[in-house]
Amino acid sequence: MSLFDKFKPTATMYYALRDEIGRDPFGVSMDEMKGPTRALVDGKEIVLAGTNNYLGLTYEESAVAATIKAVEQSGTGTTGSRFANGTYAAHRQLEIDLAAYLGYKHCIVFSTGYQANLGAISALAQAPDDVILIDADSHACIYDGCQLSGAETIRFRHNDPESLEKRLQRLGENVKGKLVCFEGMYSMFGDTAPVKELVEVAHKYGAYALLDEAHSFGVFGENGRGICEHDEVLDQVDFYTGTFSKSLASIGGFVASNHDELEYLRFSSRPYMFTASPSPANIAAASAALKKISSDQSMRVQLWENAKRVHAAFTQLGFDLCAPCSPVIAVRMKSRDQAFKAWNFLMDNGVYVNLAIPPGTPNATSILRLSVSSAHTTEDLDIVINAYGALAEKLSGELKDD
Amino acid sequence: MSSIQEDDDLVFRKICSLIEPLNDKGVKLTRETDLIADLEIDSVAVLDVVMDIEDNYDISIPVNTISEIKTIGELVDAIHAIKKEQT
Repeated sequence: MSLFDKFKPTATMYYALRDEIGRDPFGVSMDEMKGPTRALVDGKEIVLAGTNNYLGLTYEESAVAATIKAVEQSGTGTTGSRFANGTYAAHRQLEIDLAAYLGYKHCIVFSTGYQANLGAISALAQAPDDVILIDADSHACIYDGCQLSGAETIRFRHNDPESLEKRLQRLGENVKGKLVCFEGMYSMFGDTAPVKELVEVAHKYGAYALLDEAHSFGVFGENGRGICEHDEVLDQVDFYTGTFSKSLASIGGFVASNHDELEYLRFSSRPYMFTASPSPANIAAASAALKKISSDQSMRVQLWENAKRVHAAFTQLGFDLCAPCSPVIAVRMKSRDQAFKAWNFLMDNGVYVNLAIPPGTPNATSILRLSVSSAHTTEDLDIVINAYGALAEKLSGELKDD
Repeated sequence: MSSIQEDDDLVFRKICSLIEPLNDKGVKLTRETDLIADLEIDSVAVLDVVMDIEDNYDISIPVNTISEIKTIGELVDAIHAIKKEQT
């Protein structure tokens, strides 16, 4: 019995589909970046429509300049964790700036968004006394945070406050702490949560609410503070988690809160303590992007214009869309095979989107996940919409029964 | 037949009815059927079946418990154990 035997069923399926289409959807190499929305792949220029670069800030001039300056001044890496030698003045300043932007008292910066959820959940809830309740469609980092915590974890139906309420009611009296975790916008389908209702139900039963706005930060709300700003419950959320790797166009993550006790995480959260802190370059880029989005709403306006254009065009083309209009526009495919071929067809037509298949997607669905950027030009979107138009024909013809 | 056995049978049949739509290969369902290895249901689909079971019996089955369950029989046993504990 080899260690590798368990991978064989997945590997066999994956490699067969990869070989059939002659391209690896999970191993695309951007050989040369040509800006926020373009890259050379196998010698051909492709429109990037699967990036999470919602506000298009990866080449933002002020961020590039600040990043170069930070590397020159503070070096290429911190070579240590936040807990030891890896906290520089810039890390602290970014925590202060993020807290101020969001309107919370405290903020802790982690090395990635994944680690922010991992670090917050695993430290806040502990076995055997605490219970975590999570939305069934939660991101892997929420599931992994639960696993690392070891606390009893119960799933509630996706975006269903009633289902959460039933599970909170069932909990015995021996439970000490209750943590409810859910997201603002879900990354695969682009659907949004009833944040206000979920927070209310959590609080009704004495639970804390942790909201992950990774994909909605910078995108939703009057000032880009996320779905909880849109739902006017920003000050009710106990723990607000987010990432630098989407709208802030860097890498890193954070947890913000009005609870003074958030600071305890600095000496109890393993993903905070036992990994190197974000490099000066990452921090400088995120800080500059945060300044940019605090003072300039135009990217968000453009993002929504672009999203509406694509969503309307896809609706007209008759695609089976997974959610109402948002910057993530996912098209449901009939099967995994069809999804692989459709993804490849878009690549042939100069468009990169994300192929997503079960178990990484809800309801065993295979999808083509497109994410819109404010940096997409009219021409970029023409190329995208034309490629999808050709795909629609292909799906009613050659690829109909795949 | 004792009432526990009767109940056991009912739970088993209820689970089978919830799993049947995912049983693409037409495997004969027994207590020994392995959900992932025999039925080739992915881990997320198992979680979703469990959600239906939870609502049907008005119990909560923690993810921690589900990850230890391999067969239909083990699922039946887990439901009994949790029903006893939560009611």
